[in-house]
Formats: sequence, C-alpha cells, structure tokens
Amino acid sequence: MNGINLVNALAVVLIVTSLMVVEARNPRFSAQLYSIQSFVLVLIFFSLAVFMKAEPLYIWSVTALVTKVILVPLIVIRALKRVGNPSEPGTSLNPVVSLFIAAVFVGLAFLIVTPFHMQAVIKLKPALAVSIAHFMLGLLCILTQRNALKQILGYCLMENGAHLTLAFMAFNAQETVEIGILTDAIFAVLIMSLIAVRLFSVLGTLDTDQLTSLKG
Amino acid sequence: MNGNILIWLLTVPLAVSLLAFGARVAAAWSRRILEGLHLAGITLLLVLSLVTVKSVLTTGNLSAIGAWFYADHLAAVFVLVIGVMGFLNGLYSIGYMRSELARGEVTTGTLSTYYGFFHLFLFTMVFTVLSNNIVLMWAGIEATTLGSAFLVGIYGHRFSLEAAWKYVLICSVGVAFALYGTILVYSNSFQLLHHAGRAILWTEIIKGAGMLDPLVMKLAFVFILIGFGTKAGLFPMHAWLPDAHSEAPSPVSSLLSGVLLNCALFAIIRYYMVAGQSLGTGFPRVLFLVFGVLSVAWAAFLIFIQHDLKRLLAYSSIENIGLITVSLGIGGPPGVLAALLHIINHSVAKSLLFCTSGNVLIKYGTRDLHTIKGMFRIAPFSAFLLGSGALAIAGCPPFNIFISELLTVSAGLQRGYLWLMVACLLLLVIVFTAFLRLIGEAIFGSPPGNVARGDVNWQTILPVFLLFVLMLGLGIYIPAPLYQLLKGAVSIVNAGI
Repeated sequence: MNGINLVNALAVVLIVTSLMVVEARNPRFSAQLYSIQSFVLVLIFFSLAVFMKAEPLYIWSVTALVTKVILVPLIVIRALKRVGNPSEPGTSLNPVVSLFIAAVFVGLAFLIVTPFHMQAVIKLKPALAVSIAHFMLGLLCILTQRNALKQILGYCLMENGAHLTLAFMAFNAQETVEIGILTDAIFAVLIMSLIAVRLFSVLGTLDTDQLTSLKG
Repeated sequence: MNGNILIWLLTVPLAVSLLAFGARVAAAWSRRILEGLHLAGITLLLVLSLVTVKSVLTTGNLSAIGAWFYADHLAAVFVLVIGVMGFLNGLYSIGYMRSELARGEVTTGTLSTYYGFFHLFLFTMVFTVLSNNIVLMWAGIEATTLGSAFLVGIYGHRFSLEAAWKYVLICSVGVAFALYGTILVYSNSFQLLHHAGRAILWTEIIKGAGMLDPLVMKLAFVFILIGFGTKAGLFPMHAWLPDAHSEAPSPVSSLLSGVLLNCALFAIIRYYMVAGQSLGTGFPRVLFLVFGVLSVAWAAFLIFIQHDLKRLLAYSSIENIGLITVSLGIGGPPGVLAALLHIINHSVAKSLLFCTSGNVLIKYGTRDLHTIKGMFRIAPFSAFLLGSGALAIAGCPPFNIFISELLTVSAGLQRGYLWLMVACLLLLVIVFTAFLRLIGEAIFGSPPGNVARGDVNWQTILPVFLLFVLMLGLGIYIPAPLYQLLKGAVSIVNAGI
C-alpha cells in the first residue's frame, strides 16, 4: 500500500468513526469515540508528513494529539461528569439512515472537489472529499442530536473535517496559523461546555428541544 | 510605514481586559477600581483609533508585525466605528451596570467579569479589522463570538443562557463554513505565489486576484458569505441574533448590533474585492442582492409584529444589515459609499436606541411594549431620545439614516434597479409604520401607575445624548475628514473591479 492509498483508507476510517460518535447512545462513550476518531486524524497527518514529505504536519500531529485526542474529550467528559452523564434525550438517527446520509455526503463532496485542479490535492481527491463529507456529518450531528453535549461533539466533528482539509490544502502555512485555529476550537468547546453545564443547572436537562423560551 | 499605533491599538484593550479579570482573581476589585480601569481603557481606545484614522489619512496605509496587521482607509472606517462606539457604549455601561447592581441583577463580582469580557470583545473586533493574515481574520471573527458569549449570558438566568447557547453554537458552526472558504482562498493563492508567508496575506492575494482560479474562488465566496453572513445576521442564517441581542445587557446589545455585525461585513467586503477581480462582480453582487433583500423583507414583517422592545431593535439590525448588503449588491462607487455610510449611521442610531432601551428597562422593569406606555410623562429626556432614535432608524430627516438610505435608493436607481428599489421602499414603509406605532404607544400613551417618575441617572443619559448629537450631526453635515476617509475606502473597494 503506498502513501496515497493509506491516506485515502484512513480518511474512510475517519468517516466510520465519526458515524460511531453520532450514533453512540451514551454521551461519555461518544466523547471517548471522538478521541479515537481524532487519533485517526493524527495518523492521517503523520502519514501525509511521511509520504508526501509535508514536514510541518509532524508538528500538526503532535498538536492534534495533545488538543484533540486528549484535551477536547477531557473537557467534554468533565462537563458530562458535572451533569451526571445524562443519556436523555436520544433521537439518534437509525444507523442505516445515517450510513445512507454519509454516502450521500461523500457523493456530494466528490462533486464539490471534482473541478479542483490544484497540484497539492489532485492525488488526494478522495481524501479531500471525505474531509468535506466529514464536516457535513458534524453539521448533521448538530441538527439531529438533542443533547447539548452531543451537539458540541458535532461541532468538533465539523472542526476535524475542516482541519483535515487544512492539512491537504494549506499544510505549508505558518505554524501560528494552525495554533490560531486550534486555540479558537478549544476555547469554543470550553465555552460551549460551560454554558451547557450552566443551562443544565437552570433547566435540569441537556435537551436542546427545551430551549424554546425565546421565540418570535 | 509606522505600524506601532496598530500594536498599541491591539495591546490596550487586551491588557485592560486581563487587568479586569486579574482584579477578580486577586480579590482586589472594587466597583470604583473597575470603573476607573474601564474608563481609562475605553478612553485610550478612542484616542488610539482616532490617531490611527488620522495616520491613515495623512501618511497612508499602516502595517505591523510582518504585515500581519494592516490598516488602509477601509479598515480605518471600521476602527473608527469600534473606537467611538466602544467609548460611548463603555461610558453608558458604567451607569447601566450601577443600576443593575442596585436592582440586584448582578453582583460586584460579576462586574469584573463584565468589564473583562467587554474589553476582550473590543480587542477581538479590533483584531479582526486589522488582520491582513486571512486565517487570523477568520480566527478573530470566531474569537468575537467566544469573547462576547459570556456577556450575552451574564445574567445567568434561563433566557440569557438559552440566548448564549444559541449564539455560540450557531455562530461557531456558521463561521466554520467561512474557514473552508479561507482555506480555499489561501490554497488558490499559494498555487500562484509559491510562498506560504505571502499567500496568506490579503494585500498579496488582492495583487494577484485576477489570476486566481475563478471556479475555486466562486466556491470560496459562497462559503465565506454563508459563514461570515451568519455572523453578520443575514437571513436565513440570522436565528441567533434576535435572542442574543435582546437578552444581553443593553450596552452589549448595542455593541453586538452596532459594531460586531459590521466586523463580519468587513470580512465579506475584503473577500468581495478578491472575488470581484477573480470572477467578476456579477456573481457576488447577485448573492448580495438576494441575501440583502430577503433580510430586509423578513425583518420588516417581524419588526411590525414585535411587542418586545429589544427584539424589535434586533430585527431592525437585520433589516439594516440587509440594506447595507443591498447597497453592496448595487455596487459601483455610489453603492459602496451608501453601504459604508450606512454602516456608520446604523451604528450610531442603533447604539442610541439600545442604550435608551436600557433606560426603559431600568424604569419599567420590562421590555414588553404592552406595558411601556407614557414614557414622556415618566422619563421625559429618555423619551425624547427614544423618540428621536425611532424616527432616525425609520429614515426620517434630518437624522443620519435618512442620508444613507437616500444614497442607497439613488445609487440603485442610477444603476438601473428600479423595481428592486420600489420593493425596498415598500418594505421600509412597513418599518416606518412599526416605529411610528412605537413612538405613539410607548412615548405618548398613558403611563402605568406603579412606575416612579424621573429620568435615570445622568451617567446613562449623557452617553445617549452624545449619540443623539452624532446622529443629528451626521444627518446635517459629513465632516471633511470623514468624507475623505469614506472616499478613500470606496476607491479601495472598487479598485480593479
């Protein structure tokens, strides 16, 4: 298996793991699965660094390992601990429907990347399509999940998709750029988790369908 | 080019923010210390922003830290808005938060959080409009959400937390779309320049914009408009806005509405300039017109049915942002001039209205327009200011909004958009009717018996009066330096398109 095939294969594993994050009933388990998924992302960065001689991605692998495999899941799990890891409410999609939607997203993403003729991405179009599909799966998670902390994980999935696209198309940008994006992402998760915990203390639930006081 | 002023402009609000937070950690806070720190911070920011504008006008563009930060005439317009509105809303904050403290809505401890986040929010907005590095510009806009989310939810009750949750989730998701657009533009530019350091700078991208891949640029612009359009409050991505703007403390609502929305528009304008050169202005302008008119239409009807004062003002922000987007869609020097002038005018008028709504809330204890009646007899000065603001935002002369709305319509007619302008005018009639009803009922009705007579403290009146002077002044006369600044910004936006 050459480097390009490995990266494309890992990108597919990324989709499977993100579906597992969306589908898991228990939010804590979902957060743990997100950590595993982020590890797959780290492997992709590392593979790209080795096989495509994209040296800045060695550093990206390390920063993603620290922030996405360890820090972000830790923030979410800590927030879940504070609210007693409630599994309600769980209107997860049927796994078959989720798979179907994921396939549609990948197809759509392929359509989006087809006209790209940029040298940097020409051989990695399948992986790039998967990264865009991954972003859309994150959005789907936010739209279909009612648990506030699962919605945060949906945002994290979107962010992982964008991060992967960044690695394909802009890995040569200065390191400070990646640091800026990662810092924003971590603070976003931290702030959303804090607000979710405060909402739980006021409402007694993480069900975002209950957030209906402000209308009109 | 002397860019030191830009570094000061970035450092001061960040330092004041850290000091305000630090005061809490060190348990050294007291209301007076925090207010003194806050007052020094907003005054310095005002002075620095004015000096920046003057430097741009006299010596030309400024840049700092390897051109990562940059100020031209366009950025200077937004720096001016942040500096002036930051100062006036900051001034209003002192009296308003004192009242909130007296009413038991917040504690002294909360004040440190409030002022800390207030200056952090100002810092993130300055950071955004000064960023020449497109990824940092994106990071800046995302940071404005994170910096202001706690301000929205500061009261900690069900409503404000619900608003904060929707705000941070919807905006973060929306802005993630803009990240995709940013990556596409960078990647496209790198193909051309083969230099990572230069390819990420807007000033370098714009130089070679004509040679960027139009197909990639088209996709990137759609992502940018959806992403930053969410933050700007454009329909249909506006869902967070009425909640966040109505639940935040009034001076924060004012900053969110009068300043933050402009920062998102600033980023859209920067990318419009690149897209215009790469794929022509036709595609982006059509998108502007569609999103703009839909925003005005949706907001006009919701303004008409509102009975919550602050939600009414929030929908009016969507309407005005829609109008600015329509002006950008009309394009050409008259359209862009109308858009930029309306950005300034809307900031002034909306800040006045949100701050006055704070006075109303202090007096009546509610935002419900069924209860807010006879304000003229209860608090005559606040009533006068609310009435003036309502007339101004409805587009009446001699106030400033009338001038920029007139410019928009004349630009539209000049460029052949007769039916579009007729539609906009009809929608503006609906808005006018709604604000006229607001004046009739809230100011001239019979007051409820349980409301104490007399205006709120002078600290909440003075800043609003200064806003009134600005609102009236800009309706009668545009000072020469401001006109020169706007003219320069219009030339920049239209250069090469």
